[in-house]
Amino acid sequence: MDTIGADIIIQILREEGVDVIFGYPGANTLPLHDRLTSSQIRHYLMRHEQAAAHAADGYARATGKVGVCLATSGPGATNLVTGIATAYMDSTPMVALTAQVSTSLLGQDAFQETDIIGITMPITKHSYQVHDVNDVAQTLRQAFELAKTGRPGPVLVDLPRDILAAKCEQAEEKSESALKKNGNAVEDPEQLEKIAKALNQSERPILIIGGGVKLSNAFHLIRELIAKAKIPFVTTMMGVGSVDSANGYNLGLIGTHGNELANKMVHQCDFMLAVGTRFSDRSTAQIEEFAPLAKIAQIDIDPTSIGKSIKINIPYVGDIHDTLTALLPLIDEKEKSEWLQRIDMERDVIEQKLDDSGCGQAGNFIRLVQEAMPRETTVTADVGLNQIWTIRTWKARGPRSLITSGGMGTMGFSLPASIGVKVGAPERAVVSISGDGGFFMNIQELATIGYYNLPIKIIVINNGHLGMIRQIQHHFYNGRFNTTDLGRNVDFVAVARGFGIPGCRVNVEEDPRAGIEAMANSEGPFLLEAVVDPENYVYPIIPPGCSNIEMMYERLD
Amino acid sequence: MFRKVREQEQTISILVNNQPGVLSRVGGVFGRHGYNIKSLCVAETTNPEVSRITLTSESDPDFTEKIKKQLEKLVDVIAVSDLSGQAYIQRELMLIGVTVKEGMHSELLRAIEMFGCKIVTMTPDYFILEITGLQDETAAVLKYFQSFGVEEINRTGSIVVQRNRPQGKI
Repeated sequence: MDTIGADIIIQILREEGVDVIFGYPGANTLPLHDRLTSSQIRHYLMRHEQAAAHAADGYARATGKVGVCLATSGPGATNLVTGIATAYMDSTPMVALTAQVSTSLLGQDAFQETDIIGITMPITKHSYQVHDVNDVAQTLRQAFELAKTGRPGPVLVDLPRDILAAKCEQAEEKSESALKKNGNAVEDPEQLEKIAKALNQSERPILIIGGGVKLSNAFHLIRELIAKAKIPFVTTMMGVGSVDSANGYNLGLIGTHGNELANKMVHQCDFMLAVGTRFSDRSTAQIEEFAPLAKIAQIDIDPTSIGKSIKINIPYVGDIHDTLTALLPLIDEKEKSEWLQRIDMERDVIEQKLDDSGCGQAGNFIRLVQEAMPRETTVTADVGLNQIWTIRTWKARGPRSLITSGGMGTMGFSLPASIGVKVGAPERAVVSISGDGGFFMNIQELATIGYYNLPIKIIVINNGHLGMIRQIQHHFYNGRFNTTDLGRNVDFVAVARGFGIPGCRVNVEEDPRAGIEAMANSEGPFLLEAVVDPENYVYPIIPPGCSNIEMMYERLD
Repeated sequence: MFRKVREQEQTISILVNNQPGVLSRVGGVFGRHGYNIKSLCVAETTNPEVSRITLTSESDPDFTEKIKKQLEKLVDVIAVSDLSGQAYIQRELMLIGVTVKEGMHSELLRAIEMFGCKIVTMTPDYFILEITGLQDETAAVLKYFQSFGVEEINRTGSIVVQRNRPQGKI
């Protein structure tokens, strides 16, 4: 058999350590799909291209490796878009391969032709269209290097069918670096000393942990920093799970749906060390009133993330792993401070007030689920109330154990992402949590889970509504509910059975433990539908336009 | 992040890979940040693999700094320099088509001589003039000729080179 462009792709994928692709074929991908079957790369056939992108994303988040998805030209490529944007917002290393019409047809509105390069320009780190089969190897190597270096993110490679099928020679061995341009990090010891000095001298320091800690694998370093400086920490949505939730210095999630303790203490701190976070609006709420007393130091690999939305007193551009390694020796070993005692007092007051972390029966249900599952369980949360319930209630143990779409807030992420997680980390138990709204958005992936018999525990928390939007209508639109009622007419257990997946229904107001046990003890995939009241909201929340301490504890009317 | 305040004119010079699609990536960064490009010129450098994009825009310097960082992230961007406030030579070339009305012929010729314009082509009732100068100068000349009746203009936009010998090669 002659060597063709598709073989070069497989050669480079293997060279990059890829053993799994999530994809969907079409006429233009066939030269590649044809050769994939005889390769060592496993191809998971999803039921929608969007799900292929989310699965590659989930795989990358669970393993730290680059996730790869593959779709055909035209609608296949455009279906990837939401998944690529989701990966871009949360800085997931991903390579999206799209087939394209043959080069001779480009620009002619050929069947299933679309300008996917143009469409994905703002949601990729970079994109390539290959016009010569001899460029395939170099382009793909560049794509992988770009996806995982600096601030990681998705890179798209568009592959015309004639290039995939063109005869060529095997690619030569990889040379040093495929990229001309690499990173922007420059060591700056003076600036590091400034950070250390500010932290050492501060009386009320707080560490804010963002997603960057996961991306640079700096888990043990951040734990060391916390232990040495005795610094309390808060996390952003993307930072959750970087340090075990049970860590005594954990104040919780900050932001508009954050924990009261976290938001209160951030407001009082005199020094903030921000690590791998871009201060998104969901973390800061009203930006002018965020951490008003604090001097802020920020460490990030991406210079555009520093000082984008907030004024930074001590900026530092660098990889978090490298920077923390250099910073740690400069940090003083601290004693338990007055600040920590004050935090403990606040914690006691809040815990008496909100005994279920503001998540109601739904929160209790998630707690019971975690208790029933093995210690080594990874959970994927969807978007909406179910996300906040999960983030606030699930005790993250071990890095990469809690996965959700933070920046993009993509409903329908949880189910396909859990496929990527299970494939990437088969030794771990996997729970996928969704609301009924988000579950509908990629419900077809039940077929994929059933087909491959992936033992994923699928939880649909069903309140018959788009709960988070309903809560906003409740509080800020005078209870004028419209377009948020999804009805109760769908029997999710019957739906699952139709896909060959067993399941059962529980009501969280009653005792849901029998259903949870049935799920935890099941061998293969299992769907648990948990019925909750549509007014089981999340409290406290921050009303729009307010600061992080202007918390709302209940409905005002 | 759409800014309302656009105070000063900023001149940015960008070295990019001379490849299809690069201009739209650069333009996309400006558009997405709500930043209008006032003039734009793209041409190959002495290295045919590299092009120089010169553009001017109005904004505050802080914002230009943010845009500069965003541009530097693009794979096809080799270097970005913000020339505002630096020593550089700037020129613009403009072509103007002017109608010659009855009795205005000699006055028009005087103005052409005074401003140092070059007549590119002429018919008894229509001149095409070429003017090179600083952007302010070309603008002033245009304003003057508008009293005669300008039918058409086209201008290159600002092109710049730094005054001192550049360090290193492209």
